[in-house]
Amino acid sequence: MDCYVEPIARLINELSKLPGVGSKTAQRLAFYIINMPGEEVNQLASAIAEVKDKIRYCQICQNITDVSPCRICVSVQRDPSVICVVEDPRDVIAMERTRDFRGLYHVLHGVISPMNGIGPDDIKIKELINRVSDDKVKEVILATNPNVEGEATAVYISRLLKPLGIKVTRIAHGLPVGGDLEYADEVTLSKALEGRREM
Amino acid sequence: MLALKLKELVLRNYRNYENLELSFDSDLVIFAGKNAQGKTNILEAIFLSCTGRSHKTSKDRELIKWGKGEAFVRTRVLRQQGIREISIGLFANEKKKVFINRNPVSRIGELMGHLNSVLFSPDDMKLIREGPSERRRFMDMELSQVQPAYFYYLQQYNRVLNQRNKLLKEIQKKPSLISTLSVWDEQLADAGSYIILQRKLLCDSLQIIAQEIHHRITQGAEKMLIIYKPSVSFNNADRKEVKKNFLRELEIRRTYDLERGITSKGCHRDDLLFQINGMDVRTYGSQGQMRTIVLSLKLSELEFMFRETGEYPLLLLDDAMSELDPIRQQMVLEYIGKAQTFITLTDMGQIPAFEKKNMQVFIIEAGKASPC
Repeated sequence: MDCYVEPIARLINELSKLPGVGSKTAQRLAFYIINMPGEEVNQLASAIAEVKDKIRYCQICQNITDVSPCRICVSVQRDPSVICVVEDPRDVIAMERTRDFRGLYHVLHGVISPMNGIGPDDIKIKELINRVSDDKVKEVILATNPNVEGEATAVYISRLLKPLGIKVTRIAHGLPVGGDLEYADEVTLSKALEGRREM
Repeated sequence: MLALKLKELVLRNYRNYENLELSFDSDLVIFAGKNAQGKTNILEAIFLSCTGRSHKTSKDRELIKWGKGEAFVRTRVLRQQGIREISIGLFANEKKKVFINRNPVSRIGELMGHLNSVLFSPDDMKLIREGPSERRRFMDMELSQVQPAYFYYLQQYNRVLNQRNKLLKEIQKKPSLISTLSVWDEQLADAGSYIILQRKLLCDSLQIIAQEIHHRITQGAEKMLIIYKPSVSFNNADRKEVKKNFLRELEIRRTYDLERGITSKGCHRDDLLFQINGMDVRTYGSQGQMRTIVLSLKLSELEFMFRETGEYPLLLLDDAMSELDPIRQQMVLEYIGKAQTFITLTDMGQIPAFEKKNMQVFIIEAGKASPC
């Protein structure tokens, strides 16, 4: 670091805090920025400042948004009787890409994991319960990841919701579309078999 | 062809080997040499290619030659379906990388089952003499090799167990968290019931085979029993019933677990019991009886894998022959005809015992192997 003049050293230091950016990449990015037109640099800087300033959690679904309630929550084309519960805002984007789901979302911002010190109060479960008791919600789809923590969170939420008389479903896990049975690993295949449905 | 054949082994910077390339074309391979020359390291590398871990250490760092940053093990194995190539890269500061037929494998579990082996070493006496964790490890290694799903459930179980134990301690500080305990119980019982049933099946199969082998070794004098001691009892080998009982046990022990901050029941507390003529071998058995039990068990492992997979696994005998008397050596020799066998010997005088067979001998000296 000592061989850089102070402003460059600072920029490299800040960039290297980003995920997936090591010191070499940070250095490359920093030198690229030095050679960028002043106007573009200002745009980049203000975009970064603005994103922190303007982005907040939607008061209803807890997704990140610039207006609260967010566009999905206020849309008249969405079906408010179905809520899909996901771990992370990126999961909303993934679900939206399917264009199949017309209901609303609820973003938990994490999963229950005692090893990481995360309990039910540390994620947005309370908000979900409040939503469900107020609204005309008929079904809650639990779309947390199919791993140990995701499963635990799904089971926990389902036990809270069931007494409220709401239909609670869990997304299926199993074979990828377009895949061949012969290439599926044994566990995925046996899970798919477990979750089979009548035709 | 009813047995796996290891055709080639390449080691780079592995333990005391800088560069070793061996080709095998016989069913009996002998590594002879003085102590501390690296004979066991070769068997360890073969075992590593089977299970992704060493039987001696859990630290990859120790497998890498002193002063080097990475090591590499490659095996080529002939199976019914053809040649399979398994490569393992070991790194000082990174997780190991596994390739099967040059394709990277993302989970270590996918390695299981490509190359199977049964290892018999003086350390195996631990199986009887030491605590139950050795015996659980024995069952786990065995089942993981013939059944990839078992390894998955085992990993799943351990992860849930860690989470649950952490939670039990957290509840002591923050009692409201108790509302989340049952979701972990549910998953623990789910994975646990699978593990228990598979272990039961394994012990039942091993029991039948081992009894027969043991009967022959002892010329009918001893009757051996393998008794699986699951931490959760059940009458029928039915997953639903086991899971229900599992959950009930967790329920009963809940207060106790909360006080101690640890899960006191579950497959992590299972055990195996070995009996000879109705007597517990661990407590009352002689050295010789223990050794015979281990031998019967290892040979039945071989037979079990053959029944499960249709091919005999490799038999790896690490300095094991020297401790056996002629009858027991003869039993082992019978299997050498069935499974490709790798033997380490310190005493060259023992080689003639195998002379009738078609064999390859390598002299191991200070990290070099020369054909003899």
